[in-house]
Amino acid sequence: MSEYYVCTGCALLCDDIEVETENGKVKTVHAACRKGVARMKGCIDSLECTVDGEKTDVESAIAKAAEILGEAANPLIFGHGNSSSEAQKLSIALAKKVGAYLDDTSSFCQGPIIEAILQEKLKTCTLDDIRHKADVIIFWGADPSNSHPRHLSRYSYFPRGKERQRGWEEDRTAICVDVRKSETAIICGDNRFYKIPMGEDAEFMDALVSALSSKVPKTSFGFDAKKILELANVLKKAKFGVICVGLGLIYSLKDLEPLFRLMDKLNEVSDFNIMPMVGQYNMRGFNQNLYEETGCINRVKYSPESGEAEHGPEFSVVEALRNKTVDAALIIGSDPLSSLPLSVSRYLAEIPLISIDPCRNLTSSRSNVTIPCALGGVEYGGTAVRMDGVDVELKKIIDTDNLPDVEILKKITEAI
Amino acid sequence: MGFGQFLASPEIKLKVVTYRDVFQNTAQETSRFGEEYERSSAVIKLDLKDIAKLTIKDGETVIVKNSSGKVVVTAMKSDYEESHAGIAYMVNSPWSNSLVPDETGGTGVPKFKDFEVTVQGAKGEKVTGISEIF
Ligand code: SF4
Repeated sequence: MSEYYVCTGCALLCDDIEVETENGKVKTVHAACRKGVARMKGCIDSLECTVDGEKTDVESAIAKAAEILGEAANPLIFGHGNSSSEAQKLSIALAKKVGAYLDDTSSFCQGPIIEAILQEKLKTCTLDDIRHKADVIIFWGADPSNSHPRHLSRYSYFPRGKERQRGWEEDRTAICVDVRKSETAIICGDNRFYKIPMGEDAEFMDALVSALSSKVPKTSFGFDAKKILELANVLKKAKFGVICVGLGLIYSLKDLEPLFRLMDKLNEVSDFNIMPMVGQYNMRGFNQNLYEETGCINRVKYSPESGEAEHGPEFSVVEALRNKTVDAALIIGSDPLSSLPLSVSRYLAEIPLISIDPCRNLTSSRSNVTIPCALGGVEYGGTAVRMDGVDVELKKIIDTDNLPDVEILKKITEAI
Repeated sequence: MGFGQFLASPEIKLKVVTYRDVFQNTAQETSRFGEEYERSSAVIKLDLKDIAKLTIKDGETVIVKNSSGKVVVTAMKSDYEESHAGIAYMVNSPWSNSLVPDETGGTGVPKFKDFEVTVQGAKGEKVTGISEIF
């Protein structure tokens, strides 16, 4: 029987991947999408171990990293979405030890949705439930054809499921609500694509709630009321519905109240769940691990004296960098100089900066200390949490000389 | 025909929505410093009407700027989009992030998918390289 591996290209954590290796490298990858294949084959710009631009051994780099974090009054530890849960727990302990600001990408993407799910304010389900049961699937501000390429084929639209034997042709209705006609919108078809103006998601949700309450839906942007009523009808008849929430929706809402109102109404008339379209493979793991520890999913600042965690937007990576309240940073498996607005992230280059990553990126090229680590799911194992909250065991495929981030974090913590 | 049009290329104000692209994401996995990543990232997708206003051709470079930053990227007509004059699409990348304002209203969340820029033909100027961004 062939051995299956897990792809860490996104938070779908596809676990049906077969690989062929040659000379200690991943040569061929089967079943993954193109992004997954590229992830598992690894990057061509491996990170080198350096201190102040000079090549060095890993022990010296770890000692320097420990010195920087030990001396900083308000260090920031950021990243975590591309780390195993084991590494994330060590990072939380390290933050506690040095009194750090601690945050991850969820702080400026799926955070509010994950928080509401963990606090049981939003009804959710697993990807397997979607595969076997979902008959009405809404992609709202989400374009999985690009962000999670196998979402539709493995789970949400194309597959035959236990209760969906006739698949997408007869058994499933896919609906897209977005400000632009994405690739996913094209799959849903013109009849099932609801193009709304930028920033009007909340109003469209409330109009949909009216329609579900058999009132005439009105929008300030004059959306065809008949089309909204027709959509409400489809949703009412759903046996197992799901809203896949993308960044387009999250960025458009000031708070989640409109989504709560819509979900309440949908669950009065039918049965609907939320699926957060988490990007990085273990972002949800970080949120859950920190939640268990502090009751917060991100944006934490530990007091160096008491070890207590404070929580709030002022401790988010974005505000900490905007307000220049941190004086050193450790970045793990992330590239904030690429993924944050440059107007915010520019400050990172002004403070002592440490990068732990398998690959070179913009942040590492500005770092005082760079420590290469093993690539998760390829060069080391560990556990991760899929976008739906299911734990997945990662498996090592090939050897590397690089330490996994979990080891590096352990050594840094010991050295402080 | 006035002389004005020979002096400066027309400049237009647009709103930008960022999006994800699997090809660019794939290139990113392989190398953030590679040609393929730049080719798939340093792009702005425009409505045909806006391309006409800019008096440029599909595939030419444009200067995209605002008070947060300035980059030169390739202008392309959007493939299958319905008319969206006044709104441009950029793939989420260091190039788009050069233009995202730092205003958050204290929420910790920048407006990645809704910001304003001005766009102008770059008259053959080369695309901003990744190492020039910072
Ligand atoms: S969909 Fe995501 S997890 Fe699955 S193969 Fe593609 S990148 Fe990997």
